[in-house]
Amino acid sequence: MLRVENLSKSFGGVAAMSDVSLDFRAGSLTAVIGPNGAGKTTFFNLISGAIRPDSGRVLLEGRDVAGLPATQVVGLGIGRAFQVAKLFTSLTVEQSLIGALQAQRHQSGHLWRRFPLPDYRGSAHEVMELLGLHTQADAQSGNLSHGDQKLLDIALALVLKPKVLLLDEPTAGMGPEERWKMIDTVHRLWTLGGLTLIFIEHDMDIVFKIAQSIRVLCYGKVLAQGSPDEIRDHPAVIEAYLGVPAESLDQPEAGGGPARDAH
Amino acid sequence: MSGASGQRISAPGSLGRDLALAGGALLVLLVLPLIFPSKVLLDYIIRVAAFGIFATSLNMLVGFGGMVSFGHGMFFGGGAYAFGLMMQKLGVSIPVAFAGGMVYCALLALVVGAICIRLKETFFSFLTLAFQMLLHSIIISWVSLTGGDQGLMGGIPRPPFLGINLANQLHLYSFSCVLLVASLLLMRHILQTPFGYTLRMVRDNPDRARFLGIDIARIRLTAFVMAGCFGGVGGILMSLFVSGAYPEFAYWSTSGEAVFMIMMGGIHLFLGPIVGAAVFMALNDVITRFTEYHGLALGITVLIFALVFRRGLTDFVAQLRGGARAKP
Amino acid sequence: MDLTALLECVTTLSCVVTQTTSGLIIGVLLFLVGAGLTLIFGVLKVINFTHGSLYMLGAYLGLTGYRLTGSFALAVVMAGLGVALFAAVFERVFMRRVYGTDVLMQLLVCYAFILILDDVVKIVWGPEFQSMGMPPAFQAPPVLFGGGVIPVFYLFLIGAAAVIALGLWFLLVRTRMGKIVRAAAHNPDMTSALGINTGLVYASVFALGGLLAGLAGALAAPVRSMSPGMGFSILIESFIVTVIGGMGSVGGALAGAVLIGIIRAFGSIGFPLFVEGLMFMAMAAILILKPSGLFGREER
Repeated sequence: MLRVENLSKSFGGVAAMSDVSLDFRAGSLTAVIGPNGAGKTTFFNLISGAIRPDSGRVLLEGRDVAGLPATQVVGLGIGRAFQVAKLFTSLTVEQSLIGALQAQRHQSGHLWRRFPLPDYRGSAHEVMELLGLHTQADAQSGNLSHGDQKLLDIALALVLKPKVLLLDEPTAGMGPEERWKMIDTVHRLWTLGGLTLIFIEHDMDIVFKIAQSIRVLCYGKVLAQGSPDEIRDHPAVIEAYLGVPAESLDQPEAGGGPARDAH
Repeated sequence: MSGASGQRISAPGSLGRDLALAGGALLVLLVLPLIFPSKVLLDYIIRVAAFGIFATSLNMLVGFGGMVSFGHGMFFGGGAYAFGLMMQKLGVSIPVAFAGGMVYCALLALVVGAICIRLKETFFSFLTLAFQMLLHSIIISWVSLTGGDQGLMGGIPRPPFLGINLANQLHLYSFSCVLLVASLLLMRHILQTPFGYTLRMVRDNPDRARFLGIDIARIRLTAFVMAGCFGGVGGILMSLFVSGAYPEFAYWSTSGEAVFMIMMGGIHLFLGPIVGAAVFMALNDVITRFTEYHGLALGITVLIFALVFRRGLTDFVAQLRGGARAKP
Repeated sequence: MDLTALLECVTTLSCVVTQTTSGLIIGVLLFLVGAGLTLIFGVLKVINFTHGSLYMLGAYLGLTGYRLTGSFALAVVMAGLGVALFAAVFERVFMRRVYGTDVLMQLLVCYAFILILDDVVKIVWGPEFQSMGMPPAFQAPPVLFGGGVIPVFYLFLIGAAAVIALGLWFLLVRTRMGKIVRAAAHNPDMTSALGINTGLVYASVFALGGLLAGLAGALAAPVRSMSPGMGFSILIESFIVTVIGGMGSVGGALAGAVLIGIIRAFGSIGFPLFVEGLMFMAMAAILILKPSGLFGREER
């Protein structure tokens, strides 16, 4: 589904991404992990068209989308949720989703009939139910709780029915309970099928629990990739990132990992 | 006062409701001269109409689009001069010159907008101001065409059309009321279409909008052109009222006063600017009657709104009405 | 448009000398005002739209000072200090409340003050044009240079401005206070975390801006007549200067001011009614080609 070949990007002499090649099978659930500054968000930015790579290819179903503007990449089927939710704060949940749909159907410039155009409500409500936001349909986005804002952020990407969904730290800023609720939602979305899901995450418990496969980035390079078991025992990964013996990772606390600051 | 980037209520409006409101307002306005046949009152309403349309058009950009234009006066002045010149030199009928004035404003907005839109917020504001003052300078220096700092001399001919004689105050008044209601209705409608909501999306989070495939530049430019056209309508109405056009129409103070009106009336509701225009004009008239130091009085009033109330008049209403939904 | 007159002037040495000095006069005054404006923006991230009114206050205070003391030097100092004090108070009481809000809000507060101050001046000094007249010290025969005539006062003015500029440079670059100001411009949170009273810094910067504007107003008084509302055109021009030079850059303000001064001086020969238009064209050009200004730092 998604293949990245020799992707490189430097910012003013600092190599944020060096010759990264990765492969994501269709319908897979992959976690991208790594210490702060490893280039995880840069990776997402490069795939989704937010920034242009210096070199390399990003192949979506065989088509190279590297360097295309975000507007186009989204149209080709890559959806993205952000570390800090990017919402239309003055619009309600329902309005935001309808707005997203209307953009997709090229109705953004429609000047005749009033908003919302008919037959959008159905799709919007579908997504709201999927993410548990239907009770908040008329709440202003800016007024939502942090968790609901993250959910809406995902909804805004999901409503466009993407082929690939990039989730940048879906559990960022959440307490332990909320975190598991969110990741359950993410997992549930994935089990419905039809989605290649890639998420960045710092909480190792979550990563090892639900990810099918893991990619480890460090200093802009691929450090390791494989199944959770392989990664858990991978010496280089342990040294660079995990830093603690494998057993302590099974503790229910949100520990067992390096400092969880935003990268 | 939370600024242009603050939270807003997006009340879902129905066309029917807007039409009913508009019809009712128009009825009241048209009947008013029968109840209060005061020339002063009618003149006041005509001026409020002109500035109300102008301020509302600016709010399309500032409040709904998040684009803080300092140079909106270029359309007020430009529209007035374009209309006035057409009437004086080309001898066309009023509707034709009206359309001509709007076309001029649309073209001006297209050119200026295309250049300014590319810039970030503060620079956008500065550049729009620069263009407005440039237009003002052209008006002042092109004496042969515009009359320079004296303004368009000789008055604007007002040949009757469709049985309407705008030289007659009552006709002018009715015409202004119809124009006001029609313009506001049209602007309201535009803001309630998918385009209007896209504009809000671009205002709230341009990044996200980009990720949805929205062409930010095109949306902004379209809004700029529309706002420019309606700004011109305000200017044309003013030039009909004073039967001329003056450089002051294109001076920075026109833009500044429009900003006052928007802030005073409230940036969150669609009708905020027109309320602000009504209040501002009334305040202005009353102040100038009582003291020659209107700057002082006006300045203090603005300070009170800005620093004490921190919001416009309709924002109070919005807060009461919206409760948990509304955010000032 | 009078291009022949312009061409004639540019090819005559005496005219070039006279106009260039004129331009330099305008330039140094605009530099003083613009430097304050750009400093305030650099440190406080606020556009002080009242800056023209500060200049006006300086002019009127200088006038009164001169009439009271008969000494031009004393009058200039009084004006500078008076406006500095006013600016500091204005900042602490009013501007402080609009930091962090959007530009429209700051614009509103400042515009309100422009209106208020114009009327205050009208009340205190009267609405008519006033002039200080040339102090006797400068009533010497003008200097001849290259066939052009340069009034003695012009030389004094350029010299005084140069001294002030030097003092400003010294203050910003060599003194501890200057370093603090520049640090606060760069990183206000860090500076406050270091225990430095940012409120004091902000008030000082505004006072400094006010000092410069006030000095400029008083220094210009012998050669400019004053009236309420004179602040606005200075505001617009110094605004253009800071945009062209780059907001936050004092060096840029100097470059921009000299440029505008020259445009004005020569422009008023060739395009007498369109001089302002020329300046706005320059501003538009910079905003389109390099929005951060000639010496401004590029933003992300």
